[in-house]
Amino acid sequence: MAVLSTPKSAVQLASKGRPLKEHLFRIALLASLAIALVFLAMLIVYVVQEGWPRLDATLWENQPSIRRPETAGIQSGIFGTLWIIGLTALMALPTGILAAIYLEEYADKSKWYNRLIELNISNLAAVPSIVYGILGLGIIARWMQFGFTIMTGAITVSLLVLPIVIISAREAIRAVPPSIREGSLALGATQWQTIYRQVLPASVPGIATGSILALSRAIGEAAPFLMLGAATLVRFNPEGVWSSFSVLPIQIYSFITRPQAEFSVLAAAAIVILLAILLLMNSVAIWLRNRYQKRW
Amino acid sequence: MNDPRTPIPASGIAQIGVSVPNVSVRGPEVPRTIEALDPVFTVSGLSVFYGDYEAVRGVDMTIGNREITAMIGPSGCGKSTVLRCFNRMNDLIPGARAAGKILYHNEDLYGDHVDPIEVRRRIGMVFQKPNPFPKSIYDNIAYGPRVNGVKGKMDDIVEEALTKAALWDEVKDKIKQNALSLSGGQQQRLCIARAIAVKPDVILMDEPCSALDPIATTKIEDLMQELSRDYTIVIVTHNMQQAARVSDRTAFFTAEVDAEGVRHGRLVEFDETSRIFTNPSDKRTEDYITGRFG
Ligand SMILES: Nc1ncnc2c1ncn2[C@@H]1O[C@H](COP(=O)(O)OP(=O)(O)OP(=O)(O)O)[C@@H](O)[C@H]1O
Ligand SMILES: [Mg+2]
Repeated sequence: MAVLSTPKSAVQLASKGRPLKEHLFRIALLASLAIALVFLAMLIVYVVQEGWPRLDATLWENQPSIRRPETAGIQSGIFGTLWIIGLTALMALPTGILAAIYLEEYADKSKWYNRLIELNISNLAAVPSIVYGILGLGIIARWMQFGFTIMTGAITVSLLVLPIVIISAREAIRAVPPSIREGSLALGATQWQTIYRQVLPASVPGIATGSILALSRAIGEAAPFLMLGAATLVRFNPEGVWSSFSVLPIQIYSFITRPQAEFSVLAAAAIVILLAILLLMNSVAIWLRNRYQKRW
Repeated sequence: MNDPRTPIPASGIAQIGVSVPNVSVRGPEVPRTIEALDPVFTVSGLSVFYGDYEAVRGVDMTIGNREITAMIGPSGCGKSTVLRCFNRMNDLIPGARAAGKILYHNEDLYGDHVDPIEVRRRIGMVFQKPNPFPKSIYDNIAYGPRVNGVKGKMDDIVEEALTKAALWDEVKDKIKQNALSLSGGQQQRLCIARAIAVKPDVILMDEPCSALDPIATTKIEDLMQELSRDYTIVIVTHNMQQAARVSDRTAFFTAEVDAEGVRHGRLVEFDETSRIFTNPSDKRTEDYITGRFG
């Protein structure tokens, strides 16, 4: 051991004290995080407190009513939201994932039209949702004569979330190492077999997470539904895709704008429900990601 | 290594001269069927382009049936490029193009009627970095037969492929475990087993040991010797001892600068391994194998 010992002066491992900048940077990071979390916590505490008196079964058992705000519920809103989300998922996810597969695996990037498509998808993701509402109103509700129905709402919201689904699915597909594709193709697999049996399964966690986050966005949207005549006080649940409907954000908006105090309690309770649905979906996303995460 | 089925001489060179196959190109009277034997590949005037860049120019060589052919040469001289022409993997690179001819059992590999998928099924490939699929060991092996629509007892196919790749004893108790939990050397043998499972005719290997330690390398080399009884093997390697140990024939490539100052990969010398390493006919080959080259 004596052979290995080094004169004390040769090695300097003692801490020289971290520079002040390093510390300040850390504090700034923590502060930003704290601000975001504190506000979120405050918001949640506030709505739960406000809505507490109405957070009971009547909330989801009853239908909305103007005359009896103290017992009015939001059942039609909950069902409307679930219908819209379900139908949107059915329409936007397959389309978005297939589009992403095309762009990542088939499109020849040297062709001008493929680059144009890519550029426009990024642009579409930035278009304000009210614009999609106008599109839905003008084309789907009026011109295609789908009227103010679940179908119209779901198609409109599908168009709204499609760019987000495509972008996040592309990210997930791109994260699959090329060596996996090569390995599959070198065994005589066709391109579609390679995509279907290797690339897609490996990118499921990413695609699922992205899709759920995109759908969560759709749940929270009010603007397009304002244009699409999602009536506030629908007193019945949707019976199919051609029913008229309401959604939670619209009901919340209309409760808050009424003068009676009972309505603001009702609105707060509805917000809690909306947040609960959102958190539930996000936790499914997290669960999926952890469950199926691949490492290379 | 103590496998009783493996009575292989320690040195590949010792075999040379005994197993000189008939590598002459056959005349047109031979039926043009893809099952025909000897030689497996006849390459003539092969040039490979990436876009406008001619990466490899004018390669002529023959790959004998059930032989191990090694391709050596400095980095960037086009060994991988040529290798990837043999199973048309270069088709997958946008802008890549091959000119000249490669006959595979006297069938034009780049002919209009040839399906690259069918080519890759018959001509398997093992890559430099082990690339098992993120699935179980079993599913890794079964993947090739499944996508090729092979019927039959998959369990037997898997066991046979793993046994041939000298991996069965090590993994038979954890066949359902994720392949990524194997060591690097085991993963590479898994990739070899995966290639064997589709019952190919040829196995191409692009620096299959460059990511492995010496013991794992020895295992793979022994495995190659064993496999060369049933398969034709073409291996790219930077390890000259490896080329000398395992191969029957060696192709030495280098990069040449042409009149316009553009570098092209060229085949300098192609001969029996024993000659390449003891009595090369080209000065550049000699410089390279004695380590006097770049
Ligand atoms: N996909 C590609 N696109 C463009 N040029 C390429 C591509 N792949 C290889 N090349 C070029 O072709 C030449 C030969 O490359 P190749 O990979 O075949 O060399 P190599 O002999 O296998 O080298 P190494 O020993 O480093 O693997 C190089 O000049 C390289 O830059
Ligand atoms: Mg290479």
